[in-house]
Amino acid sequence: MSTAASLHQSRKRKNAVMMTLCVVAAGIGLAWLALILGALLYKGLSGVSLSVFTEMTPPPGDAGGLLNAIYGSIVMTIIGIVVGTPIGVLAGTYMAEYGRFSKLTTVVRFINDILLSAPSIIIGLFVYELMVRPMGHFSAIAGAVALSILVIPVVVRTTEDMLNLVPNALREAGTAIGAPRWVVIRSVAYRAALSGIVTGILLAIARISGETAPLLFTALNNQFWSSNLNAPMASLPVTIFQFALSPYEEWQQLAWTGALIITLTVLGLSIIARSLTGRREDR
Amino acid sequence: MKPMLSTDLNAADTTVEKAKIEVKNLNFYYGQSKALKDINLSLPERSVTAFIGPSGCGKSTLLRVLNRIYELYPKQSAEGQVLLDGKNILDRSQDLNLLRTKIGMVFQKPTPFPMSIYENIAFGVRLYEKISKAEMDSRVEQALKRAALWNEVKDKLNASGLSLSGGQQQRLCIARTVAVKPEVILLDEPASALDPLSTAKIEELIDELQADYTIVIVTHNMQQAARVSRQTAFMYLGELVEFDRTEKIFTSPREKRTQDYITGRFG
Repeated sequence: MSTAASLHQSRKRKNAVMMTLCVVAAGIGLAWLALILGALLYKGLSGVSLSVFTEMTPPPGDAGGLLNAIYGSIVMTIIGIVVGTPIGVLAGTYMAEYGRFSKLTTVVRFINDILLSAPSIIIGLFVYELMVRPMGHFSAIAGAVALSILVIPVVVRTTEDMLNLVPNALREAGTAIGAPRWVVIRSVAYRAALSGIVTGILLAIARISGETAPLLFTALNNQFWSSNLNAPMASLPVTIFQFALSPYEEWQQLAWTGALIITLTVLGLSIIARSLTGRREDR
Repeated sequence: MKPMLSTDLNAADTTVEKAKIEVKNLNFYYGQSKALKDINLSLPERSVTAFIGPSGCGKSTLLRVLNRIYELYPKQSAEGQVLLDGKNILDRSQDLNLLRTKIGMVFQKPTPFPMSIYENIAFGVRLYEKISKAEMDSRVEQALKRAALWNEVKDKLNASGLSLSGGQQQRLCIARTVAVKPEVILLDEPASALDPLSTAKIEELIDELQADYTIVIVTHNMQQAARVSRQTAFMYLGELVEFDRTEKIFTSPREKRTQDYITGRFG
């Protein structure tokens, strides 16, 4: 009896120690996030004004905004998503549906995983060799292509995973009613996996809207307003990179503000993605 | 033994029953392993046939050969003949989608499509028929009435099929199958995931449907087989052990293995 009690006591002590360690580790992880968000809000919020969204990036020592950078980021992100999503969704569909039992799928999945974890600067260099050098100049379209290459593996992965979660019984049911395979995929599997696939696309947007490295070698930057896709284009991450390294106070302030805008956008997209997935699990 | 079986069946009923499906020398393989061994049986038209037997005996496999749904998966193959109205459906030239509109299937777990109740039924109809909205409305209503679900869902046809209870979902699946006007309906343990009340409703439904359809039901539940079927096939280890009128199987089976199984000595 006494041994049982002491065993129980020692277990309780060990449990308390382990729990404390876990809570501290979780706290440290969360603390960094809180510190980053806090610093961004503290330093960036003071610079948020209407002019940030209406004026161009200023020359050193002048006041201005981030309009051309915000515009550039939006344009290149949209093109990257529009080009990358169909390729990613179709590839994921092949892997989860048509090629479910094929060797090619295993190979594609392996390569896709490598692509997923490839440093984005490599993608930037790749597109530099592929487009910038032959064209002879930096361009927004090269930046968009680099971003779309980053989109593809993310979308492939989530599309395949989400389609694999669709129960086979549902595919069998669709087939058993006489529906051809593509109808089963389009009307049954896609529908069942829709929120998951959309989540993947949102995560891809979140990922590329903060990428700097692939744009440095492709779209470069532009101090002025430019909507020409065949010319260098400004973007928020590259502008932040440039302004944060500069000695000018106005530029540094704009860098903080830009960082806040990107972070809040990504945070917002992640929350939307989460709530979509959450709703799926509720069902 | 085989010719004797069909004579038995014919003798049992006053009218000579036409065979809707005839299975001849059927073997089935999962990769290298043989799951069905030389199956021969004939399923009479507009009548319920039950497949019973312990887990892994091949009864579901046999059912899945009848609409060739096994072809969704690689390394599964069937050899022999399955004649639907005298035509071999295992033939390479057989169009699988058309075959499946003639032979519908309802699965163990309810599988409503992720769409509204109305769309669940319209989906299959729309695949092969171009009909007006009014015609479709009446088709959906008929199918739901046929599956004894109309009164429960008529006010919420636009609600998701997934919002229904398990028993209702299963009847929706039956309605969906009936709506495309098949000739044969395959039921793979249709009530095993349902409560007793829903099970009773499904069984009642099966009894009504046999007036118009040839029905094949796989079941683990021997009482269910006895209640709903006219013929019963007992399978064991991939073989068809005995096939006869249901009351014969359950009261005076010819084979000892059948006797042992239905009295609960194994399985």
